[in-house]
Amino acid sequence: MRILLVDDEPLARAELRSLLAEAGEHEIIGEAGNAIEAMQQINALRPEVVFLDIQMPRLSGLELVAMLDVERMPLIVFVTAFDEHAVQAFEEHAFDYLLKPVEPERLAKTLRRLHKQLQPPDYQLLTACQQLKQLPCHRHDRIVLLPLAEVEAVTAKLSGVYLLDQAGQAHFTELTLKTLEARTPLLRCHRQHLIHPERIAEIILLDNGAGEITTRGGQQVPVSRRYLKSLKDMLGV
Amino acid sequence: MMFGQQLQLVLQLLQQTCIFLVIAWLLARTPLFRPLMQVTIRLPHKLTCYLVFSGFCILGTYLGLKVDDSIANIRAIGAVLGGLLGGPSVGLAVGFTGGLHRYSLGGPTDVACMISTVCEGLLGGLIHRALLARGRVDLLFQPMLAAGVALVAEMLQMLIILLLTRPYHVAFSVVDHVALPMLIANSIGAAMFMRLLLDRRALAEQYSTAFSAHALRIAARTEGVLRAGFNEANSMKVAQIIFEETGVGAVAITDREKLLAFIGTGADHHLPGTPITSQHTQEALRDNRVVYADGNEVAYTCSIHADCKLGSTLVIPLQDADDQVIGTIKLYEPKGRLFAKLNRTLGEGIAKLLSRQILTGRIEAQRALLAQAEIKLLHAQVNPHFLFNALNTLNAVIRLDPERARALVQHLSTFFRKNLKRPDEMATLADEIEHVNAYLQIELARFGERLQVDVQLDGIDTRQRLPAFSLQPLVENAIKHGTAQLLGIGRVRLFAEVDNGQLLVHVEDNAGLYEPARKSSDGMGMGLVDRRLKVSFGPEYGLRVSRIPDRFTRVTLAVPHQPALEGM
Repeated sequence: MRILLVDDEPLARAELRSLLAEAGEHEIIGEAGNAIEAMQQINALRPEVVFLDIQMPRLSGLELVAMLDVERMPLIVFVTAFDEHAVQAFEEHAFDYLLKPVEPERLAKTLRRLHKQLQPPDYQLLTACQQLKQLPCHRHDRIVLLPLAEVEAVTAKLSGVYLLDQAGQAHFTELTLKTLEARTPLLRCHRQHLIHPERIAEIILLDNGAGEITTRGGQQVPVSRRYLKSLKDMLGV
Repeated sequence: MMFGQQLQLVLQLLQQTCIFLVIAWLLARTPLFRPLMQVTIRLPHKLTCYLVFSGFCILGTYLGLKVDDSIANIRAIGAVLGGLLGGPSVGLAVGFTGGLHRYSLGGPTDVACMISTVCEGLLGGLIHRALLARGRVDLLFQPMLAAGVALVAEMLQMLIILLLTRPYHVAFSVVDHVALPMLIANSIGAAMFMRLLLDRRALAEQYSTAFSAHALRIAARTEGVLRAGFNEANSMKVAQIIFEETGVGAVAITDREKLLAFIGTGADHHLPGTPITSQHTQEALRDNRVVYADGNEVAYTCSIHADCKLGSTLVIPLQDADDQVIGTIKLYEPKGRLFAKLNRTLGEGIAKLLSRQILTGRIEAQRALLAQAEIKLLHAQVNPHFLFNALNTLNAVIRLDPERARALVQHLSTFFRKNLKRPDEMATLADEIEHVNAYLQIELARFGERLQVDVQLDGIDTRQRLPAFSLQPLVENAIKHGTAQLLGIGRVRLFAEVDNGQLLVHVEDNAGLYEPARKSSDGMGMGLVDRRLKVSFGPEYGLRVSRIPDRFTRVTLAVPHQPALEGM
């Protein structure tokens, strides 16, 4: 099993690594110290199982789950020191979780279950109505959390998904268009573009039945024929 | 007319005046006279004034002596006093009523008498108005003034009789006969009547002064006693005070079940701690009402001892909030002594006072308990997240570095030992720093390179005192809501300075995420620390927060700087 460890405390990761090593043959393919690093690694390394701490800086483990693409969802084992509400939710949906300090017997039981489990359960049950308010992305050489209100549009290119901020700057993000469409008020206007409805300045209708949006920040975003109608419906025009 | 006859008439009329005054004296004991004792503009009072003095005006006519065809009378007293005390309108009305009545009796002087009575009333009223305008209300009640006005009024009457009655010789004869007796009798009568009113007023004032003095003394002496708790010891103190101040035969205080205190006659067999047996007390408790057994109409016999000397009792319920009965206060008088009305009213006042005290005491006790519970809660509230993470860290360190693990266990036990310290104690800054240090060592192990700590307390006298458990919550907040939320490296700085007589201990983090509106359990922790510092040292001390978002949050703890404490 290819495993990713996510915890903001290095010793907690070390402890889990040791326990897993004692428990048998697993490949720990990476470690992450926060949810943003974790998302990068999940996208890059495609682990089968993620041991995910809940309390982490800025973005919690649960928020991370809400940002992951459902189609590429790994199996997740939640790890927490003390979080009554989350534990209650895990029990309700029969999701795997471990309490810190982790008991080796309990870990062994979890690993046995993971071996039998093929399909990840619907973790979105935990986060069904959770809307993303800040979007992790790369700005210059740093990872930042861009507030949703500052995003005008989202563009998918060959090199990845980019958030366009109000100044017209594009920021690479690990989030997929699908996740963004589901978890934010951003609207689909093109197979490769999302638009923030509150940032639309005008929609120019073209002869071929398509359109073009000018944002308040003065950026051009194409609208395809396929999405023009639904966009107009959504905006009530 | 002969002088001897004149003198006899004077004496006779004075006798009549005496009867008149006796009637006035009797009436003065009734509430009817109360409005007459002060100058008032209220209509019901004016009306009473009119009715009373019209009555006396008519009485003055009836009590008069028949002389020739006319009547030597003391009607003027009613009219003049009515005007003096009630003002022009009342004077006029009284004079008119009395005059009309006189007119109905007929005789050669009927018209003159009627008109002169109206004039007398008016005269009294005008003097009333004149004195009021000069602000000399006090003069209105002067008996000599009343006598003077009555004298002038009677002279006026004689003049009017002489002017209006025809034939003139009849008028002259009447005046000749009655002038002297009437002048004397009316003047003296008016003065005496006023004197009577004054005495009545003085008595009433004496009564209420005595009442207020008693009530105030009891209030002052019992202040705070029952607030400390409604029990036997405190009830005994209060009963003693009431016993001394009221001078009743005995005083008892009960709760709902038993006697709490008893002082006075019968204390030998009314023993505190014994259950309530008196049916009167049980009635008062059951029906929440004052029970009065005067020993005559309502029989009173002591329920404990047949030879008890007590003969009457007044039982007043003590009430909690929502008018719940929580006990009674009982006043007793021995057989053969009357229950003073004063003490009955006073007793009810005392019961209200005591009820209020008991209630206040309960509220205060509850508040103190609540505050204590709040501190206990904070103190017991070792953040479970911290605890389990610390244990998890310890697990890892045991594996990696057993020697370091032993040190961590020491820090952890220091931390918990300090946490168990009674939070109402004062601690030294050194104690607090030890607590913080133990906490920081564990957090440093947990976060590894993600956390950097800088403690800079050189030159600070750490024997400085402050409430225990003041500093650690600030450091915990700086990490939990500050550096732990950073993706990069968190820095916590602890440093202190003395400024303007205050010792300032700063706890600074580089996250700048502090939100004043945060009302979670941690917010309560900070608020509680602040309140405790203010309670201990005064409103100018406590916590201050400064922040630049995303740069830093600095919480400053300010306490009075007290260097070189003796005996430390």
